[in-house]
Amino acid sequence: MSKKIDSVVTHMILIAVCLVFVFPILWLVLASFSKSGSIYDIDGFFPSEFSFNSYHKLFVDTAMYDYPNWLQNTLYVAFFSSLIGTVLVILTAYTISRFTFKSRKMLMKSTLVLSMFPSFMGMTAVYLMMVNFGLINQLWSLILIYAAGAPMGYLVQKGYFDTISNTIYEAARIDGASNFTIFVKVTLPLAKPMLVYTALTQFAWPWSDFILPNLLLKNKDLWTVAVGLTHLGETEFTRFAAGAVFIAVPIVALYFALSRFLVVGVSQGAVKE
Amino acid sequence: MKREKPSKIVIASCCIMGAGQLLSKQWIKGLLYLFIFAAYVTYMVTSGMNDIKGFFTLGTVRGDAWLGIQGDDSIMMMLRGIFAFLLTAMFVALHISNVKDAKGLAKRLEVGKELPGFLQATQIFLDKKFYIVALLLPVIGVLIFNVLPIIFMILISFTNYGGDIVPPELVDWIGLGNFEKILSLTEIKDTFFRILSWNFVWAFLATAVNYFGGLGLALLLNKKCVKHKGFWRMFPILAYAVPGFITMLAFKFMFSYGGPINYYITMSGHSAIGFLDIDAGWTARIIGIAVNAWITIPTSMLLATGILSNMNTDLYEAASIDGASKWKQFIKITLPFVVFSTTPVLITNFIGNFNNFGVFYFLRGGLYNDGYFLASDTDLLINWLYNLSIDNNYYGIGAAISLIIFIITSVFSLLVYVRSDAYKKEDTYR
Repeated sequence: MSKKIDSVVTHMILIAVCLVFVFPILWLVLASFSKSGSIYDIDGFFPSEFSFNSYHKLFVDTAMYDYPNWLQNTLYVAFFSSLIGTVLVILTAYTISRFTFKSRKMLMKSTLVLSMFPSFMGMTAVYLMMVNFGLINQLWSLILIYAAGAPMGYLVQKGYFDTISNTIYEAARIDGASNFTIFVKVTLPLAKPMLVYTALTQFAWPWSDFILPNLLLKNKDLWTVAVGLTHLGETEFTRFAAGAVFIAVPIVALYFALSRFLVVGVSQGAVKE
Repeated sequence: MKREKPSKIVIASCCIMGAGQLLSKQWIKGLLYLFIFAAYVTYMVTSGMNDIKGFFTLGTVRGDAWLGIQGDDSIMMMLRGIFAFLLTAMFVALHISNVKDAKGLAKRLEVGKELPGFLQATQIFLDKKFYIVALLLPVIGVLIFNVLPIIFMILISFTNYGGDIVPPELVDWIGLGNFEKILSLTEIKDTFFRILSWNFVWAFLATAVNYFGGLGLALLLNKKCVKHKGFWRMFPILAYAVPGFITMLAFKFMFSYGGPINYYITMSGHSAIGFLDIDAGWTARIIGIAVNAWITIPTSMLLATGILSNMNTDLYEAASIDGASKWKQFIKITLPFVVFSTTPVLITNFIGNFNNFGVFYFLRGGLYNDGYFLASDTDLLINWLYNLSIDNNYYGIGAAISLIIFIITSVFSLLVYVRSDAYKKEDTYR
């Protein structure tokens, strides 16, 4: 009997918790299908009339808020940052995991010290430097910053490479393969899941980052989605909701596709940090 | 064919980069070294020396558009100075490699071995020193976009840059002046200590709420009576997957005057509440903690789930045979195990929360309270730093605050570092 009560109570708490998590999202999704545009016209959490109006406006009424353009900028930045960033992270992680060389320990220690500086400190400086060199308002400067910062988070990938046995490399070495050949022909195929994971996380970061683009992109046609959406006030609420849902769906889908890696990634990164 | 004496090669390379290589007829390598040597010397003579001098003076001529005087740009001079130092450091490193290379050549000549051709030497280098080739780009990227900005910011914290003193005014080195200002100038001092104490309270509260929230949720899902764990886990993961800025903006809308919560309040006959208004005080702080919990509990749940699944269940069986209650089992077995294996994460989370910029920036960004110098009562140090340096151009003081944050974070990180098994055992399986 007490077991039954326990089970009922547990499930009730679970339902409550899940409601807390799902409700704000549901509210946002419903609002994006609301017929009226302002938050004041929605009765509480539930819109009175539904339509695709907000989505239509999002892509057609671009005079004030050019969402398609924001989307294009975001895609451009996220794609190239992911491409370059992944190459750099994988190279760093593989090299540090596989080779023992003199400055290895020092490199690892310095990345640790560097990561202790508040991220803003670097950003303010990057901002000042970009202003002084006239590199502000450039999408590619954003790409460079994202990609160049990527190797700092090499620990998860290094953890993965640490698990690949050394005997495979030694066998290839005996067969006369150069280090470069080994990297391309042996390591990369073995690291495919990690490659995918890295590319996707490197993509997701610029895709949903707000701070850096807000700092460096002052020009309205260069805004990314994150920057653009923060400029939408209460009267444009459903447009915000539609824009938010549209950009969140691919990321959410991505996370679910990756949920297999997620637990591993979270715990690995946690233990190694 | 007459060869030079081996010792001569080394000495020649010490004096002029590449000379030794040329003497031993390593034409391409020698010319490359020589070319870099010439380029560096030209750079130093034409502008490098001046740049280094400028780094120390930070400009002497004040610009005046009215009189048509082209003044010195102190910040540019500092950047160019840093650049000159970096180039010099790189040159020194290259010079050392050049001498080493010459020594190697000399040794080979002494025993009468044939010297490898340029192409062959490159190939050997690329293979033997693969790690240098592979790490070159990442290291350069990190140097330019992470190290250089940090050096720049550390230097800025010792200048009076910012406020009224921006070009064309001349910036000066003022030593620890900014730190003195933060700790003594009434307005700034009061703000600093108020924000600092709130920042610690916030970090403790937020970390505790997230940690125990996540652990509780994981334990709940771990119960035997819960079927379809994957289904229940989906909801927190959904919350976790939504980009943070969307969540935070959505919560801002939810608590705004036109938002749904105020709608129900006004419907029931009360007047609307300004949850996030300038005078909201603790209401806004508690909303901040709740929003932050909503965002981070899923992560700590995933983490706790991973750890719980590694747990040895025999202990529980033994405990129940001995007649220990569920609560006692939790306190004596589960909690110590989980806390022990998550201490590093706990401290990392604490640091993350200590520097949590997003929550209050999105919920209440840009508000300035009375009694605070360019900050509001929910702002953390990192938000204040943003207000000071980005919105109001107080670069010097902002940089000094970043250094203070760095000191606080590094003390906590050091705790992690010393305790972390992952680091200690790093070399055991090598």
